[in-house]
Amino acid sequence: MNEIIYNIVVWMDGFEWSTSLHESYYMYNWIESTHVLTLMVSLGMLFMIDLRMLGAAFPNVPATTLAHRLNLPMWIGFSAMIITGVLLVYAIPVRTSQSLWFRFKMVLLVCAAVNAYLLHKRMSESGASWENDAKAPKKIRISAALSLGFWTLIVISGRFIAYDWFDCEYGQSAVISFVAGCVDGQTQW
Amino acid sequence: MNDENKAEAKLDDIQLAAVVSSSVFVVWFAVYWFFQIQAVRELFEFVRVNNF
Amino acid sequence: MPTSILGPYTRTITAVVLVVFTVVFFYTVRVSVRASIEPLFDWMTASWFGIIGTTWGAAFAIVEALHLIGLALIGGTVIASDGRLLGLVLADQEPGVVVQKTYRIFNWALILTLSTGVFMACGVAGKIYFLKVFWYKMLALSAGMLFEYGIRRPLLEKDLEDITPWVIKLTATASIMVWFTVGALGRWIGYSG
Repeated sequence: MNEIIYNIVVWMDGFEWSTSLHESYYMYNWIESTHVLTLMVSLGMLFMIDLRMLGAAFPNVPATTLAHRLNLPMWIGFSAMIITGVLLVYAIPVRTSQSLWFRFKMVLLVCAAVNAYLLHKRMSESGASWENDAKAPKKIRISAALSLGFWTLIVISGRFIAYDWFDCEYGQSAVISFVAGCVDGQTQW
Repeated sequence: MNDENKAEAKLDDIQLAAVVSSSVFVVWFAVYWFFQIQAVRELFEFVRVNNF
Repeated sequence: MPTSILGPYTRTITAVVLVVFTVVFFYTVRVSVRASIEPLFDWMTASWFGIIGTTWGAAFAIVEALHLIGLALIGGTVIASDGRLLGLVLADQEPGVVVQKTYRIFNWALILTLSTGVFMACGVAGKIYFLKVFWYKMLALSAGMLFEYGIRRPLLEKDLEDITPWVIKLTATASIMVWFTVGALGRWIGYSG
């Protein structure tokens, strides 16, 4: 599996756009800045919704109304983050795909997505009986707390991608090499 | 000046202060970000040079 | 009831004076004042925060991530609150209610962002002292805080129907601009030096 991923990202690295993006001072920094700054929009809205479910914000505003109204700006923010995130991977595909923190971040993103799906499912199933209560029902509160936790860890692991402690280039233990996807005899980093 | 006039003057003061400070921020923001659009110009130049 | 020495337009005069002072300061004594506070930055580097920040990259990175969380929360409250004032989000909710309910979260988010920011500043004090963008960010941050607590909140304490609508919208627009600029300048610090 690691070899397949490595071959794909080496292929991506071969494109001129990839190299140009990586080497462009302004473009790469703008893309990364946009990726970080749009979290003010996406995560900001998400945190408002989660805090409402936990009863820590907007207790007077109906919970489902808040969630529905903030959904659009949240998804606009997430769309920008997904696009810029893909571009960031495309700019430095080999190193990024073999970053332990990047892989951890992707796993957490999947967990957050599953949790978000479950939260919305529970919201729909539970009806509107609780929406004027300060706090949501227990299962929804748990999902909201997990959401806060997952996204905090996602931000932390995203920040750690810049650090090279576990880069394949510097020779790692067998466990780290496997998890990070290091390939024996690889010539590109 | 009676109490009602004082209250109106105070409201005007806050509104005027808001207009002054907000205008300064908006102008500063517009000028600052105008000079930050360099990256977009660079992208367009790259596209133009490479005939995409 | 005591009245201000500046008369009925105290806040406006104070705002104008601060703007003029900032412009004058920027073009005159800025360099010499900055030189005089260099010892402060040396002290920050040698402080406990500075040593932790420079020694353990992981600690610095975690604090920076928490800084970003604080930034996200500030962004969220700004979008919810100012977005409502502009009629862009939560349009069916009472604007006064939405605005009031964001205050507490904004306060805590600002505390988180400021405290993590101080830690990070100590870790890279030697670098940021010489960075123009850092000083721009401090200017924007100071302006943002003064604006939020000195003008925007007192303005919005009034009944919104008594405030001229375009003043509300201008204030909301400026608030969004200030906080996003603070975030963007903070990001640019990372690319400089």
